[in-house]
Order: sequence, then structure tokens, then C-alpha cells
Amino acid sequence: MLVRFDLPRTLVDNVFEDFLTDFSPVYPDYQVYPALDLAEYENESVVVAELPGVNKEDLKITVEDGILTIRGVRKPYEIPQDAKVILNEMRVQEFCRSIELPHEVDVDKISAELRNGLLRITLPKTEEARARTIQVQ
Amino acid sequence: MGNNNVALTRRGTNALTRKVEPVNSYVTPVADVYETGEAYVVKLDLPGADQDAITISVDQNTLTVRAALPTFHREHAWMIVHEIGRKSYFREFRLGEGIDRDKIRAEFVNGVLTVTLPKVESLRAKEIRIQ
Repeated sequence: MLVRFDLPRTLVDNVFEDFLTDFSPVYPDYQVYPALDLAEYENESVVVAELPGVNKEDLKITVEDGILTIRGVRKPYEIPQDAKVILNEMRVQEFCRSIELPHEVDVDKISAELRNGLLRITLPKTEEARARTIQVQ
Repeated sequence: MGNNNVALTRRGTNALTRKVEPVNSYVTPVADVYETGEAYVVKLDLPGADQDAITISVDQNTLTVRAALPTFHREHAWMIVHEIGRKSYFREFRLGEGIDRDKIRAEFVNGVLTVTLPKVESLRAKEIRIQ
């Protein structure tokens, strides 16, 4: 039997209605958060992670045994007490994600930047890791 | 921590290795909307967007937010993990009567866009004192 649940009217009342703009889910789920890219270059790797709404004071980055860990908290924004919530999709508050790095990293030269909700971590390779790239003569 | 995920990757051995190409041309950003006595407030996660690349438009009955994204990687990147493939954000909200379109304002902080849409004076919540 197919049961259809109608959205509460407050969600789609005639003052505020969200158009369906894309059939794919916004983020499939929050099991893996934050979403990230890991790009390797000749002399370094760069990790880019999406962290909207996170302050840099609330973010901790560690590299240990070849594992990069990004952990922190997205603090809720202030909302007036009398406010009526119409749509609430921003859910993640605490997060922690680890990723294995593809090479040895010169830990002293790691740098990180958080800008426009995007974290960019640059992880330079160690001399030894660089030397392992063998040029074909 | 409520959400501990470990994603291990090994070089060159997994299906996640892709060239630097966006997977989707745009995504629908996550949004929160709430209403107060004076206004509707729309919040959108637009991580990675530059403020100058965000376009907010309001026509008769639609609020539209678009944001083009810069490329996150240089050329010759070997993508070991690639989850953020996208070119832009796009989302629309239908507006009804009762919004003071001339007084809409927006700010962009830490990748979160906040658009405040004040209600017209006649629709604002008013407290009525009992005499």
C-alpha cells in the first residue's frame, strides 16, 4: 500500500515555497562529512574540504602516522526566540573525518587556510617522497 | 564526536580517482528558512563561492540565488578523492505577497549566505496591549 504523507502546510504556504530545482538529493547523507577533495601534485598534496559556517577557532587539523584528521564543530547560528522554522536542512554540528595521505608529509611545512567556508590544506612531500618519483630517461 | 568517519584511500587503486572534471554542473545548496515577526530569513550554504560571484535576484514572485564557483585545483592534479565536483550553486524560492522587496538585504560570512526579506509593514507581528 502506498501511503502519501503531505508536507505540513507551513512548509509550502503561499508566502514561502521552495521550488524543486534539482532531482538529485542535496547531499546524499551526512555519513561522510565534510565532503572533500584530495589532489596530489609533484611536490605536495592539497586537501580541499567544504566547511560552511565553521569558524577557524572551532577547527582542529592533525596529521599523525600518515593520517590527516579534520575535526571541529559547526556552531548553530543565533535565531530569535519567537522565530518559526520553515525549512531546516543544515544539520551537522560536530564532525570528524580522517583520510590516509598518499605520501610522507613534511609536517613542519603544512599550511591551512579557511576562506568562504572552504578549507584548503597544503601538505608538502618529504624529500624522500619526492625522490621516489623516477624520471624515465 | 557524533560523527566519526575514516575514509582510507590508496593511491591509484580505487574508483574515486578521477580527472579534474566537475561531476555536476550545479548543485542545490542546503538551506534553512525561518520566519520572525518582521521578516523571513533564508540561509544557504555556499562553500567555496566568492562574494562577488553570488547573484541574488528577486522578481515578481521568485527569489533566485546563483553562485559560480572557481576551480579548486590546479592543472595536472592527480585526483585521489574527488567529492566536490561542481561548477555552481542554484536555488529558487517562491515568494508570496507581503515581502517588502525594496528592503531585502544579504550578507555572506564563512560560506553561508543570509538573505533577510522584511515583511511589509501591514503584515508585521504587532503586540497588542490590553488597556
